[in-house]
Amino acid sequence: MQSSLAVLVENIVKRFPGVVAVNNVTFDLRYGEIHGLLGQNGAGKSTLLKVVYGVHKPDHGNIYVDNRKVFIKSPRDARKLGIALVHQEIAVLPHLTVLENIALLGFSWGNLISKFDRSEFKNYIDKIMSRFGIDLEFNEKVRNLSSAEKMLVQIVAALSINAKILLLDEPTSPLSLHEVEKLFDVLKQLKKEGLAITFVTHRVNEALDICDRITILRNGEKVATVESKDIDAHTLIKLMLGREPEELYRVRVDKDIETIFSRYLGEVPLIELKNISTQPQTAAEVPLKNINLKIYQGEVVAVFGFIGAGKTELGKTLIGLTKVSHGDILYMGKKIKIKSPVEAIKYGIFYLPEDRRVEGLIPHFTVAANMDISSLNIVKKFGIFIDSLKELNISLDMIKKLNVVTSSPYAKITQLSGGNQQKVLVARAMLTNAKLVIFDEPTVGIDVATKAEIRRLIYRYARERGVSSLVLTSDVDEALGLADRIYVMRDGKIVREYINKNLDRDEILKNLA
Amino acid sequence: MVLRILNNALTKFKYFYTYYELSRALIPLIILILVSIAMSPRYFLNPVNIKVVLMQITPLTLIATGEMLIILMGSIDLSPGSAQAATAMIAAILTRTTNNLLLAILVAVALGTLIGVINGVLVSKLRIYSFVATLASLVIWRSFVIIVSGGKLIYGLTQYSVFTQDFGTYIPVGFVLTVFIVILIYVLLTKTVIGRYLYGIGSNEDAVRLAGLRADFVKFLAFTIAGTLYGLGGVMLIAMGGFAVDPWSARGNELNAIASCVLGGIMLTGGSGHPLGGLLGASMLTILTNILVLLGVTEIAVQQTVVGIVLIAAATALTRGLRYVK
Repeated sequence: MQSSLAVLVENIVKRFPGVVAVNNVTFDLRYGEIHGLLGQNGAGKSTLLKVVYGVHKPDHGNIYVDNRKVFIKSPRDARKLGIALVHQEIAVLPHLTVLENIALLGFSWGNLISKFDRSEFKNYIDKIMSRFGIDLEFNEKVRNLSSAEKMLVQIVAALSINAKILLLDEPTSPLSLHEVEKLFDVLKQLKKEGLAITFVTHRVNEALDICDRITILRNGEKVATVESKDIDAHTLIKLMLGREPEELYRVRVDKDIETIFSRYLGEVPLIELKNISTQPQTAAEVPLKNINLKIYQGEVVAVFGFIGAGKTELGKTLIGLTKVSHGDILYMGKKIKIKSPVEAIKYGIFYLPEDRRVEGLIPHFTVAANMDISSLNIVKKFGIFIDSLKELNISLDMIKKLNVVTSSPYAKITQLSGGNQQKVLVARAMLTNAKLVIFDEPTVGIDVATKAEIRRLIYRYARERGVSSLVLTSDVDEALGLADRIYVMRDGKIVREYINKNLDRDEILKNLA
Repeated sequence: MVLRILNNALTKFKYFYTYYELSRALIPLIILILVSIAMSPRYFLNPVNIKVVLMQITPLTLIATGEMLIILMGSIDLSPGSAQAATAMIAAILTRTTNNLLLAILVAVALGTLIGVINGVLVSKLRIYSFVATLASLVIWRSFVIIVSGGKLIYGLTQYSVFTQDFGTYIPVGFVLTVFIVILIYVLLTKTVIGRYLYGIGSNEDAVRLAGLRADFVKFLAFTIAGTLYGLGGVMLIAMGGFAVDPWSARGNELNAIASCVLGGIMLTGGSGHPLGGLLGASMLTILTNILVLLGVTEIAVQQTVVGIVLIAAATALTRGLRYVK
C-alpha cells in the first residue's frame, strides 16, 4: 500500500455566489503520507476538503480514489470509499459517552441489521485505540473532555469504520500546544500504518512539523506543492501571503511604555479586580480563583493563557455573566456590581466574544447593521427612528478606516470572510463610547495579514482614543506584540504579571510548563 | 439558446426570491390571484365577492401581524385565537350593556394589550418557553371567555357596521384601518431601533445580549404590541363575523395566524421575513379558501386539506437551501 495514490483531485472548480472558492486546483494524496493544505483564511482549503467529502458539489473537475474515477455526492458516499472528515468545529454529541459517540459517528445502515454487541464493540474499539496509542475513558461523558480528546473521539470513530483516508480540517486551532503534540503523535502513528492524511492548517510551523508534503493555496488557487524537508518557514509564509512577512506581530514599540507609565503612575485604575473568585454555573466553566488585575485608562493589557485557563470566564466576569462568589470589582476606585452586559455598558465595558459566529455576528443583518447594533443611539433621530443616511455614512467611514473588504455596507455579513467579519465586530466596539473593550481571542482563525491589521487597529484605538483594551489571548506573540502589560493565567489563577519591556517569549512560556 | 435564456431567467428569479424577502410572499400571492381570476373570472372579480374576501382578511391580518412580531424573534405565540375571542366577548358585552361602542373598543384593545403584557412577563421575566407560556394563555383566556359569556352567544351587535361600510367602493372601512395599522407595524420594524433589535433577537439572541442590548425589554414590548393587535383583531372579528360572538369564536385562529406567517414568508427560526408578510399571508390563506368555495368545494374537510397541502408547499419553498430545520 505504501506510497500508492489514494486520492487525486483534478482541476476542481467550486463557485459560490460572488466568489470562486476553489479555482482549478489539482492535488494528490498518497497512502502513508501526511499532506498539508496550507493557506490563509478564505484560501479555499476547507472548501476543497468539503468537495472531496461530498458536502459541496464541484462545478468542474474530477475526483479519483484508488485510481478509479468516483462521483461523491454526499458524505455517505465518501465514507463508503473510506474517506472520513474530522471537523474544524468539533462535531460530537456532548451528552453521550465516548463509546456512544464513537458508535454513532461511525454508524452505518449496514450495522443496523446485525445486533449491536456492546462488549464486542468495546473490544474492537479498544484494539484500535491501543494500536494507535490513543487513550480515552469509554464511559466519560463527552462534554467533560478536552478539545483534543474530542478530536481523538472523531478520529477513533473514523478508524472504526476502516477509513483509509482522513481529512483533518484545522484540527489544531482549538488545541493548546501540549495537546497539539499529543495529536501529532497519533497522526504519526496513523501514517506509519499506511493511512493517507490531509491536514488543513494556516499555521506554518505545524505544517512543517508534521507534513511530508505541503500544498499551498492562495485565493482559491494552488500556488505550489512542496516537500516539507526542502523548504523553510520564511519561504512558506512568502508563498502563502504572496509577499514578504514584514513586521507582522510587533505593533507597539518598547519606548511607548515610558510615556504610558509616566502618565498613569499614581492614577486610579479604570477597572480593578480584587480577589475575585467565581462559582461555575456549568461543567465547562472554569472557576476563577483570587484574581487580582488592574487596567488603567488607555492601556492595552493582555491576559495570556491556553484554552481552559479561564480567560473567557475572566472577560465574562467583567460583563456580569459569571457568578462572583467573593471579591470586588472597583471602577475608578469605587466598588461596583455588574449583573449583566446591559449594566456593563453603563460603565463603558464592552465585550467582543471569542466565537464570532455563535456570540458575535447577527447573521441575517447587513454589514452596516452589524456594526452599529450597539450604538444605535448615534444614528437615531426623533427618539426611536433610525437615520439610514447617517447609518450609511458611519458604516462607510468604518469600512474605509478598518479596510473591510465588502461589496457594500448593505452586503449580508455572512458573505464576508472570517477576517473581515472580525473587523466588523471591532468596528462595533469602536462605535460604542466604551472605556474598556475586552477582546476575547481577537485574531483566532484569521489569516496572518488580517491578524496584523486587527492588532494594529486595537493598538491605535487604545492610543488615540484613550480606550483601554483587555486582550485575552492564547497566542504569546499577540500578547508580546500588542500589550503594555501581560498577565499570565493558568487554571483560573493569575500566575505572573509582566511589564512588556525587553520581555522574552520563553520567559513567559516557562510559566505554563 | 432558448433554454439558456430560460435558465438565466430562472437563476435570476431564484436570486430574487432568496434575497428579497417581500417576493417570497408577493409572488405567490400574485400567482394565486391570477389563477383565481383565470378559474372563475365572473365570480371571483365580482365586487361583492371582493368585499367578502377583504372582510375575511381583516381580522386574520391583525392577528397574523401580531404573531409575526413574535415569530420574527424566533418565539411562537399560541394565544391569538383565545385573545381574539376574549377581547371580542368583552367588547360584545360592553356594547350590549352600555351601548357605548367607543368604550367597548377601547376596553377590548386594553384587554388585548394586557394579555400581551402577561405573555411578555411570562416569557421575558419568568423565562418560560414562549410555546408553553402562550399555551397556558390559550387555555386560560378561552376559559375566561366561557365564564364571562356564561356560554351564551351574543348577537345583533349592529353598531359594528361602521367597520363594514364601504361608501360604494366595496372596500370596507375596517380593512382600510387594518392596512393603516400594518403600515405602522412596517414602519416600526424597518425604520426604528425597536424593529432592528427585534430582528436581531430572532437572528442571534446571544449576540444581541452580549452586545449589551435590553433583549428582555424588547421581547416584552413585542408581546405587548402583539396583544394590542389581537385586541383589534377581536373587535374586527365582531364586525366581520356577522355582528355576533359565541364562546368558541376564533377557535384555532392561532394556527391560522401561524399559517399566514408561513405563507407570508416569515421564517419560523426567526430573524427573517418581510414586515408585510402577515398581511400577504393572511390574504393568501383567505383567497385560497374563497376560490375553493367559488369552485364549488364547500366541504370544509376538503378545503382544509388543500390549505394544508399549500402550506407544505410554502414551507418547503421557504426553507429551501437550508441544510436542516428543527
